[in-house]
Amino acid sequence: MTDHFKERSTRDYHQKQLFAKEELEKRESLCTHEDPPFCNAACPLKLDVKAMLAAVSEGDFAKGRSLLEYITPFPEILAYGCEGPCRRTCRRSEIEESVNIPAIERAVMRHSDVPKARGLLKMRKKQKLAVFGSELFTVAVAADMANKKYPVTLYTEAENEMDLFRRCADLDDEILERQLPLLKKAELKICFGTPLDREFLEKEEAEYDLVCGASYLKEEEVDPVTLCDSRNRIFPHAEKRYSHILQSLFDARRAAVSFERIVQRLDPHNNRPQEGETESHLFTNLNYIPSEDAVAENGLYSREEAIREAKRCIQCECVECFRGCAYLRAFKRYPRLLTREIYNNTGIIMGDHMMNKAMNSCSLCGQCTVTCPNGYDMAEICRAARENMVDTQKMSLAVHEFALLDMLFSNTEGYLAGKQPGYETCRYVYFPGCQANAIAPDTVFKTYEDLMQRQPGGVALMLGCCSVIARWAGRRELYQEQIAFLKEEMHKLGDPIIIAGCPTCRSTLQEHFPEVIGLWDVLKEIGLPEGSGKLQQEVMIHDACGARNDPDTQNSIREIVSRLGAEIKEGNWSKEKSACCGYGGLVSYVNKEVASEMAEECVREDPQATYITYCMACRDRLKRQGSNAVHFSELVYGTAADDAPGLSQKRRNRKMLKEKLLKEVWKEEIMQEKPEFTYELSEEVRQKMEDRMILESDLLETLQAYRDNQMAVYNETDDTLTTRHRIGNVSFWVRFREENDHYTVISVYSHRMTVRTR
Amino acid sequence: MPNEKTYYSLEAGGNLICHKCGIRLVKGNAVFEYLENAFPVELPVCPQCGFVYVPEELAMGRVLSVEKVLEDK
Ligand code: SF4
Ligand code: SF4
Ligand code: SF4
Ligand SMILES: [Zn+2]
Repeated sequence: MTDHFKERSTRDYHQKQLFAKEELEKRESLCTHEDPPFCNAACPLKLDVKAMLAAVSEGDFAKGRSLLEYITPFPEILAYGCEGPCRRTCRRSEIEESVNIPAIERAVMRHSDVPKARGLLKMRKKQKLAVFGSELFTVAVAADMANKKYPVTLYTEAENEMDLFRRCADLDDEILERQLPLLKKAELKICFGTPLDREFLEKEEAEYDLVCGASYLKEEEVDPVTLCDSRNRIFPHAEKRYSHILQSLFDARRAAVSFERIVQRLDPHNNRPQEGETESHLFTNLNYIPSEDAVAENGLYSREEAIREAKRCIQCECVECFRGCAYLRAFKRYPRLLTREIYNNTGIIMGDHMMNKAMNSCSLCGQCTVTCPNGYDMAEICRAARENMVDTQKMSLAVHEFALLDMLFSNTEGYLAGKQPGYETCRYVYFPGCQANAIAPDTVFKTYEDLMQRQPGGVALMLGCCSVIARWAGRRELYQEQIAFLKEEMHKLGDPIIIAGCPTCRSTLQEHFPEVIGLWDVLKEIGLPEGSGKLQQEVMIHDACGARNDPDTQNSIREIVSRLGAEIKEGNWSKEKSACCGYGGLVSYVNKEVASEMAEECVREDPQATYITYCMACRDRLKRQGSNAVHFSELVYGTAADDAPGLSQKRRNRKMLKEKLLKEVWKEEIMQEKPEFTYELSEEVRQKMEDRMILESDLLETLQAYRDNQMAVYNETDDTLTTRHRIGNVSFWVRFREENDHYTVISVYSHRMTVRTR
Repeated sequence: MPNEKTYYSLEAGGNLICHKCGIRLVKGNAVFEYLENAFPVELPVCPQCGFVYVPEELAMGRVLSVEKVLEDK
């Protein structure tokens, strides 16, 4: 078993693909966080409506204007002529009237100034463009390409600029006049009063590199996407989907893309951005959105009215999985991106693995799979990534070693199995789980006594760990070994039905043993013992992530809690949506901050409430976070668990429980070895050890080694001795004062590096 | 630690004595090793038995941070 704990070398290079490309894409595609908001998806010009509304809601009309100018050279005309397909898809419309986006566009144009100069100095382009025609499409193409610094000549029958605009759009002069400065700004050569026909076009076009014409100059139908004819000249297509103004400006935008491709000597079909109406699978949760009446547009919104209307925008985005998961919030990445980064991390052969901490900070609790509208399974990805890193010897042992050794402790020194006295065969075995043994030994003891008395058929006992720790750590082989051990042990007990005291043990063991039930199932059946606690108060239930997909367990717990006399207040985040306490996935060993936030998250709905748990780890984590949490079995048996026991205390509790059971149930005499020496630890030293994950047993072993070999350094200045001892992969140092056989410990520290002279 | 040979300086006069040998520790050549990476350093060493002393500040400071960096390699 020890070779599981051999440190790897950073100089061995192994690689294994985490997922095949298709599987990665399939998993990632479930997260639609990056899909566009519905307004943007519906807009053929792809206006970033959400950003525009955000800007306006903050009074930044100039930014709103620049977003409009980005999609079209004539935003003023657009704002008055667009029928607003975005309004039809706006999610606000499912609550009441949709956001009046075109009205806000009009206000943006009116309440902001024509920008003085474009921010970026663009290089003049060489290719010359001739545009023929006096319709909105041709004028927009000419202006747009001129803005892009192409030398453009526009031939028009119109006599002057206003005449030209009047031919373009059936709008009031006053509106068109406001658009004039943008036309002037475009630095475009306009040949007014030119009679246009195909002949003229044929004659002139020889002088130019690029040609665009109005529909009445077209010789043949053009490609519906690129708007190019067979000679790559551009004309509007006959098919119209939108009103004249929107369609013309949309066509002009597509023409500009085609021209850019032609200039790059590419097929104009190539590499086009998303154009026209697109589909979006973005999810917007409307449950949290208060209703807000639309602001009426009387002529034109004032600044204030526009701001008020823009504030009605929900700013659609999907954050469903974020709401309940402190881990995702801490790493500030939604699952699609997180998955990609974790995937890339597993692919790094040499160099820094920046996402190790991320993949090891997920509690593998499965909440996101429930809260995500598409069932995204982040847990499976993080677990698979851990296994991958272990398999390729890139997962540092340091990350999970402490927890793994703790599991082995549970299944060796802390392990106990025995049949109920007086029974040759037992129908059941009670398996409380390593955390119950570590946190609530008295409760476990009482529970077992009760089961022996009241559960017919004989109940054996097994104190140990279900091995989930190894699975969470991504250590497959170790997991299989531990499961094999448990199987052998169960067999010795006659393969009884397992009564699990912990929902995670239950779901883990269920995969390997034919019949596993919960302690709650038994108590529901046989009833509560005499003298069980009475709880005349309102409580909330903190459901365990180990029972997320197990409504029977969730309901049994509720029934038991009701029988205890309590009134259950059901929260919005209970049952299958419950957050993890931070013990799951070994987060509390890897990322204490995230683990605390997870515990905090569990009680966020009502931090003052009493929370009934049915997993002892939850009870411990919530209590540690300062909440009022109690395990249902504490109430049933009227025994209190330890409040936030330290790492060493958890081990001591397991040993004490084992010894007490051996003595009182199986009447075995326990030989208490008398320690050779005594020691004392201040509260400060204890806390230091806790933070540094150093056990009292490590300390004792180190002092014992010193007594054997006398290796230490004496510091004259403060009259202390410091000794060192290596246990497994860790060097422990203890600074102390010695008086006969008594040690006053001053400090304890450790490191994983080895050190020697050279 | 890489590119830095000395990151612990012995106090002048040295106040450390090897408990076993009864000899004053001296500045000596030592090497830290982890995951098959080696870092030569100078640390207080017993000239007789070779015991190398790693002070707490060093262990919980630079040693720990270098360990963390290597663990993510
Ligand atoms: S809930 Fe999370 S995982 Fe699901 S689509 Fe939204 S952002 Fe993506
Ligand atoms: S609420 Fe805002 S972001 Fe959502 S669809 Fe409507 S305008 Fe777009
Ligand atoms: S901690 Fe739970 S909810 Fe959050 S990503 Fe991991 S499995 Fe999903
Ligand atoms: Zn010595």
